[in-house]
Amino acid sequence: MIDVQALSKKFGDNLVLSEITTSIQKGEVVAIIGPSGSGKSTFLRCLNLLETPSSGNIEVNGKNLTASKKEIHKIRQQIGMVFQHFHLFPHMTVQDNLMYAPMKAKGIRKYEAEEKARQLLERVGLAQKADAYPNSLSGGQKQRVAIARALAMEPELMLFDEPTSALDPEMVKEVLEVMKDLAKSGMTMVVVTHEMGFAREVADRVLFLDHGILVEEGEPESFFQQPKSDRARDFLDKVL
Amino acid sequence: MNLDFSQIIPYIPFMLEGIWVTLKFVFFAIILGSILGTVLALFKIGTAKPMRWFADAYTSIFRGTPLILQLMIIYYSIPQLTGYDISPFLSAILAFGLNSSAYISEIIRAGIQAVDKGQLEAAQALGVPYGAMMKDIILPQALKNILPALMNEFITLTKESAIVSTIGYLDLMRRAQVVGADLFRNFEPLLFVGLIYWCLVMGLTVIGRMVERRLKLSD
Repeated sequence: MIDVQALSKKFGDNLVLSEITTSIQKGEVVAIIGPSGSGKSTFLRCLNLLETPSSGNIEVNGKNLTASKKEIHKIRQQIGMVFQHFHLFPHMTVQDNLMYAPMKAKGIRKYEAEEKARQLLERVGLAQKADAYPNSLSGGQKQRVAIARALAMEPELMLFDEPTSALDPEMVKEVLEVMKDLAKSGMTMVVVTHEMGFAREVADRVLFLDHGILVEEGEPESFFQQPKSDRARDFLDKVL
Repeated sequence: MNLDFSQIIPYIPFMLEGIWVTLKFVFFAIILGSILGTVLALFKIGTAKPMRWFADAYTSIFRGTPLILQLMIIYYSIPQLTGYDISPFLSAILAFGLNSSAYISEIIRAGIQAVDKGQLEAAQALGVPYGAMMKDIILPQALKNILPALMNEFITLTKESAIVSTIGYLDLMRRAQVVGADLFRNFEPLLFVGLIYWCLVMGLTVIGRMVERRLKLSD
């Protein structure tokens, strides 16, 4: 579904991603882990072109991202993204947050968007908050709304950029539960996370990045038990 | 002290009519200034260099020269250059609208840049086209932040409108001068229209507060 070839990204002289090559299959859940500053988020943001790669190729469903800048918003409609800091639209109610993009970007009719929003809010357990404004919600609720908002576009792929890092500890679980359900439903997911438990339990594959290099990738079981590289071992020693 | 307000009583209807005359062109000037100011602000934050250059040059000219000069140039030189006999009303709308748009564009630019960058990224990630994103996501949030500054600009414009009296437009200010000349008493009519200007500005202030409260609903 996603094919990444020798992807590099520079900010000025600073090489943030170095020649990353990997691919992600449909239905796969991939966790990206690594120390802070390792380029995890930048890698994720390249996948929907929020960052423009300095070199290399990314293909999504056979379409080359950098070559199709003109229709990038069409491609982005198939890629949902969840941010660390939610980025809900504060001047819209929860329901309007969910309805806005499907109506504006995809031209879905209002009653259909409404129906879809209702279903999704039900799914993330926030049906009673439909008319609330984002600022009245807790962090965990905001992130669940943000996930529902991304799902409202019926994407084929979901990107999560440290979805639980800005949350109070007691709210991490409710968000992870929603993500687990989503993974079970067969959604293709790429998750940048510091939740090793989640990576281990839910992911089909783990990518370990350090200093912009894809140091190691593998199944979570073997990765967490016997990391092949020293750097991965060091990192796991520190976080586990 | 030699004050006699009873003398201006017959002239009151004449002066009150000036409220409408002033408001009429101030209203259109604000509309013109806001639309043009928004467009200029979008040019300034956009990626197209010629547009950015144009908007910056525009602002520099209209902010860098006196408003009264711009008014006179429009009123006196358009007939000279084109032969079109421009009315004081149209000259006033143009001068005030064009001038104000330079200031408003700066206010809006600052407002847009103060909106959390994540809002833009969230809209982009959802595949919302640029125009819709600006109109529905970015500008409404910017507007909330800049409303006080914007009201300030509208208030300034309302008061500065008095300088259209210099091109013979019969606004509030001009009417006070006419009455003064008629009576050989200036203080009373000037004080009277001064009070009216103050009331107009108070009205604007109240409207601004109301709008602000409405926009705060989502907090």
